[in-house]
Amino acid sequence: MEKVCVLGAGSTKYGKLPDSIADITTQASISAIESAEIDPKEIKAGYISNVFGVADKQVHLGPVLMSNLGISDKPSLSIESACGSGSVAFREAFANVAAGFYDCLVVTGVEKVTHTGTEWTTTYFAYCSDFFYEGQAGASFPGLFASMARAYLTEFNTTEEDFARVAVKNHNNGLLNPKAHLQKKITIDDVMNSAVVASPLKLYDCCPFSDGASSVILCSEKFAKEHGNDYIEVIGSGRGGSPAALQGREHMTTIPSTKIASEAAYKMAGITAKDVDFAEVHDCFTIAEIVDTEDLGFFEKGKGVQAVREGRTDLNSDISINPSGGLKSKGHPIGATGIGQVVEVFDQLTGKAGARTVKDAKIGLTHNFGATGASCAVHVFQSV
Amino acid sequence: MTIKEQLIENAKQGKVLAHKCTNCGLLHLSTVYFCQKCGSKGFEDVILDGTGSVATYTIITVAPAGFEKYTPYAFVVLQLDNTNLRISGFMAGIATPADLPVGTRAKITGFDERGMIIEKQ
Repeated sequence: MEKVCVLGAGSTKYGKLPDSIADITTQASISAIESAEIDPKEIKAGYISNVFGVADKQVHLGPVLMSNLGISDKPSLSIESACGSGSVAFREAFANVAAGFYDCLVVTGVEKVTHTGTEWTTTYFAYCSDFFYEGQAGASFPGLFASMARAYLTEFNTTEEDFARVAVKNHNNGLLNPKAHLQKKITIDDVMNSAVVASPLKLYDCCPFSDGASSVILCSEKFAKEHGNDYIEVIGSGRGGSPAALQGREHMTTIPSTKIASEAAYKMAGITAKDVDFAEVHDCFTIAEIVDTEDLGFFEKGKGVQAVREGRTDLNSDISINPSGGLKSKGHPIGATGIGQVVEVFDQLTGKAGARTVKDAKIGLTHNFGATGASCAVHVFQSV
Repeated sequence: MTIKEQLIENAKQGKVLAHKCTNCGLLHLSTVYFCQKCGSKGFEDVILDGTGSVATYTIITVAPAGFEKYTPYAFVVLQLDNTNLRISGFMAGIATPADLPVGTRAKITGFDERGMIIEKQ
């Protein structure tokens, strides 16, 4: 297996963007190409992650991107795995470089939905659930995570204020990220007093609907060394699955795919959870970050809230969780999110993260899933 | 009738059509075609009473299209009595958590455009 490296990375700002989905896909890809200082003609194929291109009248984004980059003869594909699309596309690109099929790929995730409004997005995002049992019965995505939150409140010594602490922390980090969607300091009271979306989750427990695109240049170690730029190495890649509907899971406060994917990624990397310096995890809702940090092995089950209360997941504490601001503050353009996490790790490990730099970090992790964690990918990266 | 149509017809009678693995005995909802535990394809039908207790739930105030007129309502995950199975569905008329503590007795009472219908017992 070839060693696989990230040679360049870039994102658009996340938020409400005026440009088309095709335009922001191209903008992010060009910023990754410029970051890697490569010629587009060195790219052998394009991997695109996107869910709702149909909302901006453009599916089959790959050939549009490749044409805009002047490499219309190069193959491309699109991958959809709900909110986990980005990390799944990254994984497939990783596997192809590792297998030696390609030595340089552009991997770009994108979403453009804010023009559709809250009802459209709430309705269409629910199609990512096991629709017969969940979406059809009126479950929204906040509602499904709220069901996990209710189970967590019932099972463990936790309060809704504990969930709010996650939002406060991630907004603090997002204030240091110029590309974050929600750059706003908030308090626990702000969260507690925000409108209920799906009890017990309130508006400020939820990530925003965002537009945005993120892109990385993924290549073989040989290719990276020949180009001489700063790069990071992908040392672990794992994937896993969970029952599509919450009802099929043994525990309502655990996401099985996260455990399966992270164990596989740690094994490939030859590390344990203790070796991870910082992690970008899938905090689509505050409860999700708590569950994630337990399932990833950073804290015991039921102890994730205590860690948040004690500030152990703050920037430059025991383990910095979501230094970018996470989905909660940086934003969640669903097809882009998994790639955006890799962009953050690249920036952190190559000294480009500015005021939110995790000090002395060597190993970063990305964790991204689709729906309520029905599909998941975890990647581990190391500075070179 | 397809299996899904049979599941729906049973739900309208307050019952749940389940599949029991003829090899290892594990019970599944009838929409599963291979045993999760042993991989066997052999199943026998088991008709369960649609009664149980609320495993978890949420009260939805920001609803997907078509559900605005029902807000606030609950989406419920029901633990079926005497089985390892849970099934989820729609419950009308729930406004605050005090209306539906976890563990509340509930049952399947129908199936319509809101999916599986669950009511308090």
